[in-house]
Amino acid sequence: MDTPTLLAHLETHDTPVRLPRGGTLCWDDADLHRAAQASDPEGYALLALAPGVAPWQRARVLLQTLAASQAGLDDTTRATLARLAHVLTLALPPAQVITVLLALRRLRANHKHTTRAILRFVLEHPDADALIAARRPALTDCFEHALGKTTARGCARRVADGDTGSDYLRRRLLRFLADPDAALPRVNALYGPGDPAATAPGDAALTLDTPRRQPPTVTATNRGDIAATLVHLYRGAHDEDLYVALGRQVAAAVADLPPFPGTLALVLDASASMRGYGEREWALLSQTAALRMVLEQVCDRLEVVEVGGDERAPRGATDLACGLLDALARGPDLVAVVSDGYENRYPGDLARLTAALPGAGVATPVVFCHAQFTAGDDLTLRRPAPALPQRGFWHQDDFAELLPWMFGHCAAGQPWLRAALRVRLTDLHRQAAHLTTRSAA
Amino acid sequence: MSAPTTDPGPDPAAPLPGPLDLTGALDLTGHRLGTPQQAGALTMVPVTGPARPGVTPPRGGLKLRRVPGYGQVELHNGADTGVAIVPLHLGYIQDAAQNHALCRSAFLAAGQSLLFTDACCVQESQGGLLAERDQWFFVLPLELRARALELRGVQGYSKLWTDIADLNTRYGLPRRGHLEQILSRKRPVLTQFQSRLELQPGQLGALFFINGHFAGLEIAPDPAYFADVWAALVCFAYGVPAWHHEPDPAGRTAEPLRGDSLEELRAALDADRAHRAAQITSWLTRLPTGPVRLRHEDTYLDLRLSTVTAPHLAGQVVTEHGRTVYASLFTTRTTFDPRTPDPRRT
Repeated sequence: MDTPTLLAHLETHDTPVRLPRGGTLCWDDADLHRAAQASDPEGYALLALAPGVAPWQRARVLLQTLAASQAGLDDTTRATLARLAHVLTLALPPAQVITVLLALRRLRANHKHTTRAILRFVLEHPDADALIAARRPALTDCFEHALGKTTARGCARRVADGDTGSDYLRRRLLRFLADPDAALPRVNALYGPGDPAATAPGDAALTLDTPRRQPPTVTATNRGDIAATLVHLYRGAHDEDLYVALGRQVAAAVADLPPFPGTLALVLDASASMRGYGEREWALLSQTAALRMVLEQVCDRLEVVEVGGDERAPRGATDLACGLLDALARGPDLVAVVSDGYENRYPGDLARLTAALPGAGVATPVVFCHAQFTAGDDLTLRRPAPALPQRGFWHQDDFAELLPWMFGHCAAGQPWLRAALRVRLTDLHRQAAHLTTRSAA
Repeated sequence: MSAPTTDPGPDPAAPLPGPLDLTGALDLTGHRLGTPQQAGALTMVPVTGPARPGVTPPRGGLKLRRVPGYGQVELHNGADTGVAIVPLHLGYIQDAAQNHALCRSAFLAAGQSLLFTDACCVQESQGGLLAERDQWFFVLPLELRARALELRGVQGYSKLWTDIADLNTRYGLPRRGHLEQILSRKRPVLTQFQSRLELQPGQLGALFFINGHFAGLEIAPDPAYFADVWAALVCFAYGVPAWHHEPDPAGRTAEPLRGDSLEELRAALDADRAHRAAQITSWLTRLPTGPVRLRHEDTYLDLRLSTVTAPHLAGQVVTEHGRTVYASLFTTRTTFDPRTPDPRRT
């Protein structure tokens, strides 16, 4: 599985999966998903939780994960995939999940894990009552696909007759559910009249990516806590409280991040332009230093190659090519060039060097992290090596997407990525369980 | 842990090329060239040299006191001590008044005010006035500097409008005597030159080339003075023609360096840079020459302000006992087509 390519695809290709009435399932990147899932079922599925993945791509991962057989997978992996499917069914807009479930029906996917995911969505979603009222025919189709039409109707008849725990019901339905008391009345609703006036809830029950709100005016000190503290220190503040706060803020930023078990070389642009001027003075450098501090805590080994001056005294020209050569000479697993992109010694040198690396037998991945003032910076004249993988950051919150993207480019980063996404899954699954419990209550 | 930087080190300092001493009129013997930087069509060679202490930096000390009428600008040196040397072709974008530029430099003693009655209005009509927080000062674009210098001492607020209109037309903008069309509307692009080229520690001057053609030489009394005028020079005086000649970034392809190992790539990079430095040196050796005329304009104690005119060059210089304290010399050419194509661009 080519993680960087797949991740870039997951983040950018947000076209819907379509299910024309009577036609075939339209899923333009099915081969890519099939191949990725086959090569690493768990790693592939976890990527859906990476911050910034498009909703319809998360829906595709859910579809592929539920459609594929789990034969040969160990119990731990199966449990991870089950949790992930449950999280995704709650974290996607219900309409997208219903499309996925109907697609599974079209594909005739009827594995046990498929059945469980379908039944839990139809009968245990926090908005299940409203969804059944508004989408009853579709959800009944899903229910009958999950259990088989005869079994589904047999269960429905028994539930209608007041059965809540017969052996038949337990073996065929209840064993898939977490909260039968809340679920069984909804079986009745599936075969009831429905409500033609009802509207389906449009929003996901669980939030995966907290919506980012850019402040009306971006300043040097409203770009995240670490950078704000650093700006005050760079401006000459000597308050001991700032240093104490800095330690606390960095610790908080890395609390949920697993250690990166390799060597990362950071080419850190500390030239005059990174200091900036006027109202933007220290903005770029403080955020870059914040990233360096976070990486220092996360990486087993971090090699920093500063270009120009240094973090406290940025100065001079930007020689990224020599910085990259110095970084590569230290034998890292990954090189990240962090710069505002203004290369002047000389323009084009970084591009020519990186284009030459494969021919010189250098296989170390190199990525370019664009230090920006806002998310809307014009980067037209700030792409010194357009062929390098690149990603911008302006706020500390961007690290949540930046780090998985960076580490995803090297082999040593794969375990990090998996561990980080497992931590995220655990947290989300806890939230999902709380949602279901609250709904049942 | 942070590792120490591997500094490629500055190029061996070189003296300024002979033709710029104006056939001996300027003493530039103490000044040295640094490592060149490039941004698009613009090349900047930093200049270091002996500082002349006691000159008020323009941003802190020199204030626009008032604009009493069209073509009139009063400046004030608010510093307690230190003479101010008004940067040549200084212009102000200001709130609720017409924007003006000066045609000449001048001396202002500490606490002194000076009314320039030969300033030129750079805004043909009222449109385009800026909010107070957007005020800034600039240096006239290179293409207008020779004409503005010619018009020093000439009263008439509209005297530069035709040249500004011609420049706007050349840059595809509406034909109006509105410099604001370039300075304000293109400001997001122009101000990037302040980041694309970066001041060196101790730098007090610069040589500018556009597409390999000599564009100007700027020398300040000390690094603090030069830092104050840096943005106005690089963004507006030289940034405007450089912006006009900006190569298309999408049209560039990176030809890989040649080497089979990191060591060989480093050697290839060094060789390539040496080649490029030699190319810039060749520009220096081919600077235009010709008869130069110096005209004494102003005196403050031992400081002497002179105007330089020549077929190929113009500007003003300040000397003290023959030693150069300030210089703003620029080419009189207005076109900067690439001299030689960059062999690495396809």
